[in-house]
Amino acid sequence: MDTEIYTPLRLDEIEGSLQEEILENLGVDIETCLECGKCSGGCSNGHIFDYTPRKIVQLVKMGDEETLSGMDALWICLSCQLCLDRCPSGIDIPRILDYLREKAVKRDVRATRPNAKLFMELMLKEVRDKGRISEVPLMIRFKKKTGQYLKDAGLGFRMLLKGKLSPFPSRIQKTVGFKKLLSESASENKG
Amino acid sequence: MDIAAKTALVVGGGPAGMEAALKIGQAGFRAVLVEREPDLGGTLRKLVSSFPRWENPADLISVKVQMLEGNGNVECLTSTTLISTERSEKGFWVALRHLKNGGSRELDVDAVILATGFDLMDVSVYGEYGYGIYPNVMSSLEFEERLRTWKEGVGPMPKAVAFFKCVGSRDRSKGFPYCSRICCMYTAKQAGLVKDLFPETKVYVFYMDYRAAGKGYEEFVRDVIEKKHVRYVRGRPAKVLPENGRLLVRAEDTLMGIPVEVVVDMVVLASAIVPRAETRALAKTFGALTDEYGFIEPVPYTTMRSGERIFFAGGCGFAVETQGALQQGAAAAAEVIALFNKSEF
Ligand SMILES: Cc1cc2nc3c(=O)[nH]c(=O)nc-3n(C[C@H](O)[C@H](O)[C@H](O)COP(=O)(O)OP(=O)(O)OC[C@H]3O[C@@H](n4cnc5c(N)ncnc54)[C@H](O)[C@@H]3O)c2cc1C
Ligand code: SF4
Ligand code: SF4
Ligand code: SF4
Repeated sequence: MDTEIYTPLRLDEIEGSLQEEILENLGVDIETCLECGKCSGGCSNGHIFDYTPRKIVQLVKMGDEETLSGMDALWICLSCQLCLDRCPSGIDIPRILDYLREKAVKRDVRATRPNAKLFMELMLKEVRDKGRISEVPLMIRFKKKTGQYLKDAGLGFRMLLKGKLSPFPSRIQKTVGFKKLLSESASENKG
Repeated sequence: MDIAAKTALVVGGGPAGMEAALKIGQAGFRAVLVEREPDLGGTLRKLVSSFPRWENPADLISVKVQMLEGNGNVECLTSTTLISTERSEKGFWVALRHLKNGGSRELDVDAVILATGFDLMDVSVYGEYGYGIYPNVMSSLEFEERLRTWKEGVGPMPKAVAFFKCVGSRDRSKGFPYCSRICCMYTAKQAGLVKDLFPETKVYVFYMDYRAAGKGYEEFVRDVIEKKHVRYVRGRPAKVLPENGRLLVRAEDTLMGIPVEVVVDMVVLASAIVPRAETRALAKTFGALTDEYGFIEPVPYTTMRSGERIFFAGGCGFAVETQGALQQGAAAAAEVIALFNKSEF
């Protein structure tokens, strides 16, 4: 194990730049955070996050981009918007995470959790191709790439029984229009 | 006997005492207000701006002083204090002394209101913060003076300032387990004023929580954080160290669970509010009730009555903000007026 040298974070040496950047680019003002933790309490995946949504807001305040781009939470956030929905100050944490993910991808920062990035890529491909995600084909593709055929099989079977999983892929009807939309939003992001 | 000839003595000319004397005078009774300092106004005279409305406290003082001077029933004796007293059949006999010319005066009064205010704890007991060792570690009241000189354009701009809340308060080890009630608010005010004067200065407030239960209070603190950009860091600082002529503050950011440090030019300690030593002595001579700390207490089921013909108002009862001190002054006056109206002798 690495031994960490005791180096306290110097508050006066971190500029509020990330915080300002997020305010400027996204219009999300984290200064309104009440540090209440309601976001974390309600987060769909908070139990497996290394940094809970409240802590993520704090890390932004601290300008700790290194931790932010290397944390698991960045890749296992479901973008379910629950945190935003529950936040008394209406802080758009999923938007912050989107932004940080984009930054991390550009800087080619790899997720530490194995296959998190692979899963993201496969999922996005599915969206691009079919306009929607079909869990079973996505899982098959993921398992083919990782070789983890039996992991979560029990859970998958139970979901199948309850009708939560459909073995048949489905796609939206107007894929052409949808692809146009996607490419438009991509060029907007670049601009 | 003419009931209007009844007289109340009010000790202390801060907002509580001024309001009490004023209301008694307006009700048609006589009030003698004694204030040790050459001017009325109490602690307010030392403040540059006040929460929760960023008002100039000098305005409030001048309004009250004008009203007192215009009321023929109130006599304001500044630079004056009480030197001895004895309970008489119908009230108290008191002796006053003018602190400058040494003149003295005796009078009989029918009731006494103590409005002697509070004190700040001696924060030099915290060796770890270095008060009394590093000149730029100061108490909140001293910092008001610093704000005043900055406002007048004197003194260099600090690069960074740190405020520590609950210094003394909520600290069993120092004997003050209570919350001093006003320091969350005045710290937010002071931190915000630094930002108003010097927008470039970094301002940190170390806090365990902020207590802002009052009309407009929460909004006041949020504005200081969100609009004036004061950085609130959760944690109680552990140590102040000198570093190249500046001050290094060590603490834990308890929200993240990591140790943090910050280098600042000035540390302001929100010292605990404590009873004045002489209030304790006065309470004893007048037979007023006090609590375990020495703050004056009301007789059960009364507002501001603390014994036979003895009343109190404001900071001598506990930490209170200006509006509360005024309200208590009015409440104490109401008790006195009710007493004066009903006594048949
Ligand atoms: C740093 C600081 C900042 C503050 N900021 C704010 C603010 O922004 N807004 C706000 O609402 N409140 C503020 N307050 C609180 C405010 O100062 C008090 O609420 C108010 O002063 C209490 O009034 P008082 O009349 O009870 O006592 P005081 O104002 O303390 O007046 C007591 C008076 O009694 C006199 N006295 C005492 N003993 C004797 C004696 N034996 N004989 C004669 N005279 C005597 C004293 O000289 C003094 O003038 C602040 C307090 C502090 C410490
Ligand atoms: S959007 Fe992400 S961070 Fe927010 S509740 Fe959902 S999983 Fe948690
Ligand atoms: S719910 Fe909102 S206000 Fe509360 S900690 Fe999370 S981000 Fe901050
Ligand atoms: S008012 Fe605030 S700073 Fe003062 S003792 Fe209470 S919690 Fe601490």
